[in-house]
Amino acid sequence: MVVDAHSLVRETIYRSTILLDAQDWNGWLEHCDPAFRYAIRAWSPEINKDLTYLALDRKGLESMIKLLPKHNTDHSPLTRHTSVYTVDVSGDQTARAVSSVIVYQNLLDGINSHIDAGESRLFLVGKYHDTFKIENNRAAFLSREVRIENRRLDKGSHWPI
Amino acid sequence: MAAKNHRQWTAEPALKQNEWVDSRIYSDPQIFEEELEKIFKKAWIPVCHESELPNAYDFRTSSIAREPIIVCRGPDNEVRAFLNVCPHRGMIIERRPSGSFLEGQPSGNPKRITCMFHAWQYDLRGNCVYISREKEGFQERLCKEDVGLRRLRCEVKFGGFVWVNLDDNPKVSLDDWATPAFECLRKSLDAEPLEVFHYHKAIVNANYKLWHDTNCEFYHDFMHYHNRVTGFNDAYFARKNEAFEHGHVVVGTFEVNYEKYEGFDSRAALSFPHLPPNQWYMIDMFPGMNFNLRGSALRCDIVTPLGPNQVMIEFRGLGLKRDTPEERQTRVNHHNSIWGPFGRNLHEDLLGVQGQGTTMCTGSEPRRILHGRHENQTIHDENGMRHYYAEWGRWMNRMPSKPEQPFNEPMSVAAE
Repeated sequence: MVVDAHSLVRETIYRSTILLDAQDWNGWLEHCDPAFRYAIRAWSPEINKDLTYLALDRKGLESMIKLLPKHNTDHSPLTRHTSVYTVDVSGDQTARAVSSVIVYQNLLDGINSHIDAGESRLFLVGKYHDTFKIENNRAAFLSREVRIENRRLDKGSHWPI
Repeated sequence: MAAKNHRQWTAEPALKQNEWVDSRIYSDPQIFEEELEKIFKKAWIPVCHESELPNAYDFRTSSIAREPIIVCRGPDNEVRAFLNVCPHRGMIIERRPSGSFLEGQPSGNPKRITCMFHAWQYDLRGNCVYISREKEGFQERLCKEDVGLRRLRCEVKFGGFVWVNLDDNPKVSLDDWATPAFECLRKSLDAEPLEVFHYHKAIVNANYKLWHDTNCEFYHDFMHYHNRVTGFNDAYFARKNEAFEHGHVVVGTFEVNYEKYEGFDSRAALSFPHLPPNQWYMIDMFPGMNFNLRGSALRCDIVTPLGPNQVMIEFRGLGLKRDTPEERQTRVNHHNSIWGPFGRNLHEDLLGVQGQGTTMCTGSEPRRILHGRHENQTIHDENGMRHYYAEWGRWMNRMPSKPEQPFNEPMSVAAE
């Protein structure tokens, strides 16, 4: 069955959300092109500049993911609520999509687990700005820019958002 | 001996009195209020960087010890600081984090600092230049010349940071306060203008001194996989902690082997001026500011204590103003890889300090927190913290190890 490009893009964004929530980083990377680039950015009205909080190519992302187990972290899982707002498909078999994303942190061990574990807190608010390559009935991420509204970023995680 | 009963657990350790502190200094509300009055309202505090207000009429807001502050660049290019408080009814004047007074506001004119509440206006020197319906309300009893903003001591120094002191008559000048500690990086920071490229903040439920402790001691590098693989060698263990007057500490440099962490590269090509490749200096300023230069990127932490068990930390990253876009992006990546909110180390530091805050909240059992490592004042020696707490004791007139007692000068710290 041939699925239209708009549906392929939506499906890929939503499936990726589930994989990221499950911390299946390599499963998520399977939806990414070898030329994939990932960034987390924000505008700072404090210093009047666009900020880059993380910028990695696919190789850099793979290295980061590989080394995650060697680092200490807050293990509180993150839950992303994603809504695809727009999908624009170009004639050259590429597509752009903008999605809203809200990330909740489901507290586990970051503070005092006796008291906080089991509580969910708002962690990040932002948008995914994604580009895709459409090929062989598949949409592969070419890039993802997570534009967050937050400049207050407490202890959280080393994980991709 | 294995696990302790309560008496053993709370007994004084077999160390000198300046080698441990009482955990109440991290949790007692009265001590915290005293710290705001005796330390934060008297010390030189860096509140922002001059590049955050690059043009005439630009402003930046901040606060010290609950007092709101506004820093402005005047038409004469001078940077001045004022309390961000209207002398009329105590309204906070400027509510935005930054901006420009070149734009008019709903209540006021361009080139004026306007209180939106009743439209009183001030120039960039803090003079009151307009009181709405002045004569009708105050007749001849009060006029513009009688009021004005509260000016604060303000200087731009040490790489372009804006330092403010709430005390009109500080114990020491800014030069005397900070010049010796900054000497190791003076050439690198003052060779050419710097620019802030990174800002974020974190609020941690822990005392501000615990964050500063973490910046002062490197023994916690065992928490950082990155630092272990890129650093642990003979040169690392030979790094010296050098104490300076007024409670400041400088951690000496060595060459970091960034390539040993998978995916990371040498920082040598973008070293700050006069800095040998991949060197790493750190300046810890009393009462809780940190300047950290890792070759290609400068990090600055500024703490704002919010309560005995809560601190806001503002993190800035800086590069050279003349950076090309490509150089800047590389510098940003270097900064973020370790110190960004999604980087390798910062998150671990925040977790460590949060963990201390969890066990040292208000009302927690008083405990002994050890600062007793001696390793010839090298990297895992805790002389930096001992030096800091001796200074804290002088400002507070409290013994850090027995905070209910007045301060006595510890002879061993003077010897260190």
